[in-house]
Amino acid sequence: MADVKIDHLVKNYNPGVARDVLRDINLDIKEGEFVVFVGPSGCGKSTLLRAIAGLDDITSGDLYIGGKRMNDVPPVNRGVGMVFQSYALYPHMTVRENLAFGLKIKKVDKAIAKERVAQASAMLGLDSFLERKPKALSGGQRQRVAIGRALVQHPDVFLLDEPLSNLDAALRVKTRIELARMHQERGSTTIYVTHDQVEAMTLANKIVVLSPLTDDGAASNLEQFGPPLDLYHAPANRFVAGFIGSPKMNFLGGMIEEAGAQRTRIKLDTGVSLTASVDSSRGRAGDKVEVGIRPEHTVLLDDPRADNRITGTVQVAEHLGAETFVYLEVGGKDFTVKVRPETPAVPQSQFDIGVPADACYLFDAKGQAFPRTARFNRT
Amino acid sequence: MAMVESKSVIYRKLAAHAFLWFFLALIIFPLLMVIAISFRTGNFAVGDIIPSNPTLDHWRLALGMSIIDEAGRTIPPPFPVLLWLWNSVKVAVISAILIVALSTTCAYAFARLRFSGRSLLLKAMLIFQMFPAVLALVAYYALFSRITEYFPPLGLNTHPGLIFAYLGGIALHVWTIKGYFETIDKSLEESAMLDGASPWQAFRLILLPLSVPILAVVFILAFITAITEYPVASILLQDEAKLTLAVGSQYYLNPQEYKWGDFAAAAVMSGLPITLVFLLAQRWLVGGLTAGGVKG
Repeated sequence: MADVKIDHLVKNYNPGVARDVLRDINLDIKEGEFVVFVGPSGCGKSTLLRAIAGLDDITSGDLYIGGKRMNDVPPVNRGVGMVFQSYALYPHMTVRENLAFGLKIKKVDKAIAKERVAQASAMLGLDSFLERKPKALSGGQRQRVAIGRALVQHPDVFLLDEPLSNLDAALRVKTRIELARMHQERGSTTIYVTHDQVEAMTLANKIVVLSPLTDDGAASNLEQFGPPLDLYHAPANRFVAGFIGSPKMNFLGGMIEEAGAQRTRIKLDTGVSLTASVDSSRGRAGDKVEVGIRPEHTVLLDDPRADNRITGTVQVAEHLGAETFVYLEVGGKDFTVKVRPETPAVPQSQFDIGVPADACYLFDAKGQAFPRTARFNRT
Repeated sequence: MAMVESKSVIYRKLAAHAFLWFFLALIIFPLLMVIAISFRTGNFAVGDIIPSNPTLDHWRLALGMSIIDEAGRTIPPPFPVLLWLWNSVKVAVISAILIVALSTTCAYAFARLRFSGRSLLLKAMLIFQMFPAVLALVAYYALFSRITEYFPPLGLNTHPGLIFAYLGGIALHVWTIKGYFETIDKSLEESAMLDGASPWQAFRLILLPLSVPILAVVFILAFITAITEYPVASILLQDEAKLTLAVGSQYYLNPQEYKWGDFAAAAVMSGLPITLVFLLAQRWLVGGLTAGGVKG
């Protein structure tokens, strides 16, 4: 087991010509943590993982694993085990040979190798497939072999690159739970890449949100690093707020009407005024802002917490049984709300919903969040 | 399960079959002719497909046995056909093995490593290969006669020299193998390297075993090319005992006397090693080796 420290890491495949893929990444991953890299495609999350594994070199900055600088250490000596998105099983070898390949290459003592393979195969339930070739396995079984192959190496750091993306929905949930259990049992430092924020929220001790770099000269594409609930309740910026949470947060444009350290009055572009529990003391009246409201943070109008009222036109209503999503149009923008299952919503009709002041997020013109003075929970 | 077809489709199928049979006959006919000639008495190019009075004389001569003609004279075999055949097989096998080895490693570099001039080199190789070897015959002769001065074992009139010349023709094979390598997911080798394999081990233990079918194809192609090659062999080899069968069998045909029967027997014989290699290599020509390795 080991900690991972990333210091001002930059990755550019073609320096001077191409745009950076990763810029000024600083992370301090503690021993035994389960850290998830999440972001939309093109944000460099897989590249960062590959840089940690040593499959891609680092353009500038430093990488430390277990306190040792690893920039110029080949992958095999970094003490990492990796599960590839494609599984990358050796097709011409049986499951047993796949598991034992690395140990054989490293000339690990045969008895020890045998024991480790047996251990991994028992843990992952692979015992009855050991003599099969990968092509005779199902997707889920292949996935377990890939995990097993990394496990037998007894890595200090366990790297997983979108390991669930090729599984069907049911198997994905099952494997997700297995992975969480495995991490609890073994407690090894784990870094996990996914584009699925639900996987990120459910698995992680800490989440790293990355954004794709554009030409706008951003200092870094590391948007935020922190525990899942911090990212949910206190996103650092509009990008993180929009990325974490499902369905996505709604954004409405407006300007500050009255700034304050505890509460802020905002006048929306639709003309409606809104109160938000946000510290806007660094802003001034008249500043352009965006209000963020999560679909699950809306309440009925008769609720005592319904400080603000949003009115929109119903586009579509999705009745999922346990809950209902109503897709509204508010001042020309999409606005999703999560309501009680039996709520009626006729398309094209007017729909009113209450928004507690505590549920509002506020972002300045640059997308940076104003600090919230309260956290809202519906129940 | 057979799909239900309309009548017109069935007729079209029949017509297609008839055409294919005709085409097949057209291709096989020359081969049958050569076989017929090799069993026909006398050295005639024309005659029946099934010889009226078959003889084994041509084959006896080709296999190095003496025959007795109508006048009762013993005629020794004029040329060492079996030796030529052996020369051909030797040159073809060795050059095919070396070509596979060279083009595989070369293709690995082009498929997996990034270096400057990579795409230029690839294209240049292909363009140079487009000029027929015949154009370079003079150059071949000049080069090898110069090599003879300094290092005779690799010079004119030697089999190593001929093999050396054949090794030049690997550009197409490099392209073929490179294309195949590129279909193999790079993460397999990356995974092997994480497991502790050196680049050579990743190549040898992961990539090569998965590439056996394409290596077999390249081996067969290289073997056939070498065994049927005439122009280069005809100028590099001079001693009768060193000739390959493709070159040597031309000795049967000279303006004074066209020994079609003997020539046909030698020609059929030269087809045997190719058939044999093909049958042997066939079991390596299997698909689906990479199945199951990466997500399906």
